[in-house]
Amino acid sequence: MFVYIARRVVYVIPIVLSVALVCFLLVHITPGDPLVAILPADASQELAQQLRVAYGFDRPLPVQFGLWLWRALHGDLGASIATGRPVLAEVLKAVGNTVTLAIAAAAIGFTLGLFFGLIAGYFRDTWVDKVATSIAIAGVSVPHYWLGMVLVIIFSVQLNWLPAVGAGPGGSGSWAWDWEHIKYLVLPAITTSVIPMGIVTRTVRALTGDILSQDFVEALRAKGLQETKVFRHVIKNAAPTALAVMGLQLGYMLGGSILIETVFSWPGSGLLLNSAIFQRDLPLLQGTILVLALFFVFLNLLVDIAQASIDPRIKRS
Amino acid sequence: MRIEKPTKSRLATAITLLTLATALTLPQVARAETVLRIGMTAADIPRTLGQPDQGFEGNRFTGNTMYDGLTGWDLSSATKASVVIPALATEWAVDDADKKKWTFKLRPGVTFHDGSAFNADAVVWNVDKVLKQDAVQFDASQVGVTASRMPTLVSAKKIDDMTVELTTKEPDSFLPINLTNLFMASPTKWQALFDKAEGADAKAKSQAAWAAFAREASGTGPWKMSKFTPRERLELVKNDAYWNKDRVPKTDKMVLLPMPEANARTAALLSGQVDWVEAPAPDAVKEITARGFKIEKNEQPHVWPWQFSRVEGSPWNDIRVRKAANLCIDREGLKDGLLAGLMVPATGTFEPGHPWRGKPTFEIKYDLKAAQALMKEAGYGPTKKLEVKTQTSASGSGQMLPLPMNEYLQQALAECYFDVKLDVIEWNTLFTNWRRGVKDPSANGSNSTNVTYAAMDPFFALVRFLQSSMAPPVSNNWGFINNPKFDELVTKARTTFDATARDAALAELHAASVDDAAFLYVAHDVGPRALSPKIKGFVQPKSWFVDFSPVSITP
Amino acid sequence: MTTMTDTALQAAPATKARGYWATVGRRIVRDKVSMACAFILLLIFLAAIFAPYLHLADPYQGSMIRRLRFIGTPNYPLGTDELGRDMLARLIYGGRLSLLIGILPVILAFFIGTGLGVVAGYVGGKLNTAIMRTVDVFYAFPSVLLAIAISGALGAGILNSIVSLTIVFVPQITRVAESVTTGVRNMDYVEAARASGANAFTIMRVHMLGNVLGSIFVYATGLISVSMILAAGLSFLGLGTKPPEPEWGLMLNTLRTAIYVNPWVAALPGAMIFAVSICFNLLSDGMRSAMDIRN
Repeated sequence: MFVYIARRVVYVIPIVLSVALVCFLLVHITPGDPLVAILPADASQELAQQLRVAYGFDRPLPVQFGLWLWRALHGDLGASIATGRPVLAEVLKAVGNTVTLAIAAAAIGFTLGLFFGLIAGYFRDTWVDKVATSIAIAGVSVPHYWLGMVLVIIFSVQLNWLPAVGAGPGGSGSWAWDWEHIKYLVLPAITTSVIPMGIVTRTVRALTGDILSQDFVEALRAKGLQETKVFRHVIKNAAPTALAVMGLQLGYMLGGSILIETVFSWPGSGLLLNSAIFQRDLPLLQGTILVLALFFVFLNLLVDIAQASIDPRIKRS
Repeated sequence: MRIEKPTKSRLATAITLLTLATALTLPQVARAETVLRIGMTAADIPRTLGQPDQGFEGNRFTGNTMYDGLTGWDLSSATKASVVIPALATEWAVDDADKKKWTFKLRPGVTFHDGSAFNADAVVWNVDKVLKQDAVQFDASQVGVTASRMPTLVSAKKIDDMTVELTTKEPDSFLPINLTNLFMASPTKWQALFDKAEGADAKAKSQAAWAAFAREASGTGPWKMSKFTPRERLELVKNDAYWNKDRVPKTDKMVLLPMPEANARTAALLSGQVDWVEAPAPDAVKEITARGFKIEKNEQPHVWPWQFSRVEGSPWNDIRVRKAANLCIDREGLKDGLLAGLMVPATGTFEPGHPWRGKPTFEIKYDLKAAQALMKEAGYGPTKKLEVKTQTSASGSGQMLPLPMNEYLQQALAECYFDVKLDVIEWNTLFTNWRRGVKDPSANGSNSTNVTYAAMDPFFALVRFLQSSMAPPVSNNWGFINNPKFDELVTKARTTFDATARDAALAELHAASVDDAAFLYVAHDVGPRALSPKIKGFVQPKSWFVDFSPVSITP
Repeated sequence: MTTMTDTALQAAPATKARGYWATVGRRIVRDKVSMACAFILLLIFLAAIFAPYLHLADPYQGSMIRRLRFIGTPNYPLGTDELGRDMLARLIYGGRLSLLIGILPVILAFFIGTGLGVVAGYVGGKLNTAIMRTVDVFYAFPSVLLAIAISGALGAGILNSIVSLTIVFVPQITRVAESVTTGVRNMDYVEAARASGANAFTIMRVHMLGNVLGSIFVYATGLISVSMILAAGLSFLGLGTKPPEPEWGLMLNTLRTAIYVNPWVAALPGAMIFAVSICFNLLSDGMRSAMDIRN
């Protein structure tokens, strides 16, 4: 077990370095002037050149990459070109807001997914199963940004019950877990939760079915064991895998929040990425992508290790 | 209060205390803090350290609010043109012997928000922050937005505590107008932050000091920074000690929220999250007014044009064709049909009433017959259409509704025997090409470009497009206009230092450009904003800017 | 993914039997849900392909007077968009680009990924390591993030979104192809063919591709729904198709400003994406269980 974990951790190092290289290259193949955010089109060429030198964009790419990587290893992702603020602080603050959203969504998605999955698996091939599976498949098939828009139309535009955008009356800076703030979280969290809900439902349904069809469950039932005990047995066996699936989904939610955050102007990492793309703020762009990708890599690692320690048979390649 | 006190006295004490408490709270209830919450179109709070980014919206919200320049804009009237007036400088004059030297007399008794005094040293320090590369406070990130808006300023020198001398590269009568873009940040505050800053060398410390200054800004403006959450929210409170007593804000606090989505802004207004939004979605205007909100608008110094190529072989070299295009557009139809009234038809860069308008003889209006006649005269007709290609983008700052508007032009111009091809490219690419010019391959063979521009300052409104020496790569004379008359008038305006005479020269230049149909003039933006009915005292001037001081809000 | 591979391995030897695909086919035809989905998809595809013959309004021709008409307006059964263009025509024509940028990346990735995966799985050794480690790097990004990062770097455009989505899906398909191939390679009948001296190319072609393709194909059809959502998502962000082309994601984007005026017309393009995506998902599920002969 220890050897497996050690190997898995060591293997992450080249992945991290390659991910950094891909981030850097992606951002630097971008056509257009990297200083467009602070350099008006009417600026003179000498001014443009002067600033290019001041920001180090005149150096060869390998040198720029080396410097960036070296500083990144020391926890410095540089400063945003547009705002002059340190990239790392900006990204971490935004990731914090995305985590708030992701946790709320995960709670909804996991609870509903577990519920639907269990009843679907338990009442397999009945109408209950059909309804639950339909909800699950709709969850994974719906374009979530569109669902967000539809929810805004219904609950904000037509009914005026919930705010359409933002992260609370005072912005995320004064976030609190009270209704005044949570009502801003409701629509984006529901929208974000549909995919994990669908996936957890499907996983749990399959697991429940498998467990119930095992011989010893039949034997237990034959011995007159109460259904609640059987049920508890099912939950105990299905939970670890469902949690692992949820863990991976958390990673997807962090990295894939851009569409939903754009719809709801939720000040998270996705919205930050969006503005970095459209402002062509290279340090911010590569920093945001890197941090999100690394989150995903480490979350995967954690899930792998956790899964391997729960069930040594599952050693994902 | 002691327990052993007699009952009677206890009661008396209680009553006294109660009365006192009521007396203390009542006035506070009556004067509850008034807060004005505004949804901006910017995706991020414009920079707060003195030189804002995000174009003129930046100056509007984080420039003119917290800071002052040596000169400023008169924003008090909705009907008169907005002109340059004294701000931190009380008077200025060019040196008669050397027209490159100016003296500015500074306003006495002005203090920064941190309490330090505004004086000649502060002016020199602020000029150096963007122009003197070896100054410790020099900040490359502020240079781009500032230096390009005052292209001729070179340096500043202190004469005495209340007088500075500014030097320009060449004689330039536009300098006082340019200086509205240089905001005075507090050197004392910055120095304190610099001393506290950590960093390997002076440059790193300076960067850190500016980053800190952005969080604890200190200027001389009517508003002071009170709370700043980057990307989400900026809170400003009124500056009771503002030097211009008439412009001390009537509202206690102003909250600025970035809301780049027109939809999101509209929703926030309608649901009461904000009291004021910039540029509501045109489609929602009906809904907004139906719910009792007010739409405020006024003509802005902004032009939505097609800028013509004038290089060899361009179809626009024929003045009849240029005039025909200008006469072929039903601008009123565009205004009412597509923009829900949110534009002003353009008949030039400046409209009548503006000091730089002049008296053009070519009247730009909708006259289909005249346009068709001109085209026929130029050799075109229903069977022989003139093919033109224009570059535009799907979005972009100040572009209004670029695609629908261009499609409207495409349809309208077809009536006048034009066959318009649209080359829709990305906003940044369009903007970059605007600088590189029509001869650059990125122009994709187009012979006009559709980049909107601000027309507040004569250099940006006229000179950079019309003067032959402004052709790429120097500036934005995209189509390589080369007209000796324009060149002569530009030189005349730039070297006329009496403000009235300078304005007359600019008017002459503008009239000449309209008579030459130098652009296809289509629209001026109107800076629409939607306000809650609780807001009183708002005046929308003919400017990109707004004075927030007279605005009050009933809680 | 583990179950996926298991299914494929179970199914593999059966492929040798002629009747396997016939059985699968019969099972699919009997599945009502799959057939209904196939029918809806066929309808949308045919409408998109033959759009010019359907006597629809011009999807590009707008009018300032008839903007944002409601659903059910005479002559405009599904209303008009923010430029007064007929929504029905735009939704049908929109299928052309939306389906193209949604499906083509999966097809391209299917070929590239299968090629890479089969080669890596069959040849093994250093080549396997080289291919799989490169794939791992891209697999380390969440797919939405990778798609958006690549599109953001390349800039908006149809070709660019196809390229970026292909890059997103190649690693996923390669992984599946590699693990299935490695599994099949170690099975007795392949070992036997190798021992009997058949050349590598023949073994790959006859024994492996046949056994491997089915399971990769099922996996890939499952990706189409994701791809449709992502492709439209890119356009929705302004990183995909450029106006004035009709495309569902872009239509959703430009109609967003209209949700206060005509909300349900604004929501229509999303409903199309949803319909296509859910049909592909159900069809893929149907195929998967049809191929799973175990029960």
